[in-house]
Amino acid sequence: MSTDFNLNSELTDKTLVITIEGYINNTGGEKIVREFSKHDNVNKLILNLENSKVVNSIGISHLIEIIEKLNQTNGKLIFTNLDPTIEKTFTIMGLFQFAEKADTVEMALKS
Amino acid sequence: MKNNNLVEKLSLQVASFQEGFEILCKSYNFNEMVKNFLHLLRGNFLISDIVAYQKKQSKSEWEIIVSKSNFDKSDLSFLTESSNLSITYLQNQKYDVSIILPLSEQSVLGILIGHKMDKSSFSAFDKITLQILLQVFDSAHKAFLNQRKEKALIFELNEKIVQLNNLIETGIEITRYDKKDFLFELALERITSLTNASSAILQIIKNDKVEEQLSFPKGINFEEVLTSEFKLESGFEFNHVTYLFTLAEKETRNGITNFDEIDKLLIDAIAKQVQASIEYQYLNSLAIEKEIMEQELNVAASIQHRILPEKLPLIDGYDLAGVNIPSSEVSGDYYDCVNLGNGKTAMIIADVAGKGIGAALLVSTLNAALYSYLQFDIPLAEMADRLNKLIYKSSPPDKFITFFIAVLNSSTGELDIVNAGHNPILLLRSDGAIEKIDAGGIGLGMFDFGIPFTGQKLLMNSGDKLFLYTDGIPEAMNENEEEYSDEKMINFLKNNSGLPAKEFIDLIVKDVKEYVGRAKQSDDITVLILKKD
Repeated sequence: MSTDFNLNSELTDKTLVITIEGYINNTGGEKIVREFSKHDNVNKLILNLENSKVVNSIGISHLIEIIEKLNQTNGKLIFTNLDPTIEKTFTIMGLFQFAEKADTVEMALKS
Repeated sequence: MKNNNLVEKLSLQVASFQEGFEILCKSYNFNEMVKNFLHLLRGNFLISDIVAYQKKQSKSEWEIIVSKSNFDKSDLSFLTESSNLSITYLQNQKYDVSIILPLSEQSVLGILIGHKMDKSSFSAFDKITLQILLQVFDSAHKAFLNQRKEKALIFELNEKIVQLNNLIETGIEITRYDKKDFLFELALERITSLTNASSAILQIIKNDKVEEQLSFPKGINFEEVLTSEFKLESGFEFNHVTYLFTLAEKETRNGITNFDEIDKLLIDAIAKQVQASIEYQYLNSLAIEKEIMEQELNVAASIQHRILPEKLPLIDGYDLAGVNIPSSEVSGDYYDCVNLGNGKTAMIIADVAGKGIGAALLVSTLNAALYSYLQFDIPLAEMADRLNKLIYKSSPPDKFITFFIAVLNSSTGELDIVNAGHNPILLLRSDGAIEKIDAGGIGLGMFDFGIPFTGQKLLMNSGDKLFLYTDGIPEAMNENEEEYSDEKMINFLKNNSGLPAKEFIDLIVKDVKEYVGRAKQSDDITVLILKKD
């Protein structure tokens, strides 16, 4: 079933910023993983979720996969512009034990 | 090599085996674990050519995992079938060793080890080392699987906590929304994510017709959801409208599947929360409407109360009394007695069609205009015509006033009257004869066709009684929905007209109330009686 999910990314040095729009489900999660995997040597991934208000656990499992990959190379993932419901979900799922959060992309870039 | 030497050499390797185990355990996935294991083998035996295969199930086909060279199908002939660990040392072949390692999740690992770089064959020490390394791999793989299971369990547990938390928060948030569209959007978003559905729709159905459809995500094809092989429904009916939620395609990492019992509980819970919210909004709107209506009625009652006379004038040689008993819903009954001077008194009774503040305001308009016209001593028929024009302009088409006015000259007993559509006023003569006075015209404000009102002149003699009333008396209904009736009213008047005016009024009101019994008073009761001594 086709759903509207869009992303765009920008790589600067070893920092990749992916901006997401839409439902982070299996399809959305796979697209994020694919986009991340396109780039070698990324040690900081910033996921801008400003236009994503809904996530399911399959989408989260893809995000965990990325976090694990980054942790293996001492890289880090920073979520930005989190909707309060998503932030709470990520907290309960334990994502912030291995990933960070920032209010904006600019703040994430500085961290 | 002597056994002691072997033990000594192996004991030196323990740390390296331990390190190998840790590396393998840290592997991100199975393929990476195999890749790391092949590194260990290369390092231990100085081999460059080494290939690994996997069977997902014991009866499935071999799939290559790691190889430096391209897949050579003929290599598979070196892999034998075995349900136990099998290490075959080959002579003068492409590979020196063929390994079959059945793993604990029913998959099988096959490894082909090429020649050692120094071309030597595998020594006894090498063989023992290989055996130990394979056991290390097996243990690491079991640990890896346990770790994965543990992670999956934690994930599942956290997922349940998220579901519970979202369910509680959704219940709270849903009650905050007073706009249905936001409420439905929130419900669709939450139920989709809670159940891992690909999409969800809500159909609002009235009279078997879909009036509105909403979806999450937006812009999806509704037909695809409705015809999906994997779907789940839940709904409710309220006020003859059906609200039907449909989820489509539960997602997993391995594709889509059908929804389970927990999903059914979740969708039912969200549907119930939405239902409760809609019911609450509906009841709240009714309560607000009722409050507004009560406020309106209070205003109307206050207007009516202000207009009605507190005390009737005393007329020498006459006994006058009147009363207005409003019903619970304010209607537009009106009566008044105005001393015009020169021994003249105007007695007015009127009834506005309709209830509430509209009726009360119309009575107010009539009252103000009436007082103004009475000052100028204009003929009653002309006054009725002016009042008709005014009320016609001031009121909506469904509003009009039945109106009766009588101006008494107390010294002569002359009555100048106009009846504009009101119930016939009764004049009870001293000999018991009843005269019904209905000369006048249409109710005020009904039409403005220029049809003139006609007045009437009567003479009151000693012992005559003029009885003015609104339809609240003859149309008062008892519990059997039977009216008090004109006949009963006239008989009461005839039988009790000897009483003083005030006592007569009290008694007729009592009689009507007794007749009505426990039935609700449906209309105002207004009566006025004038008796000539």
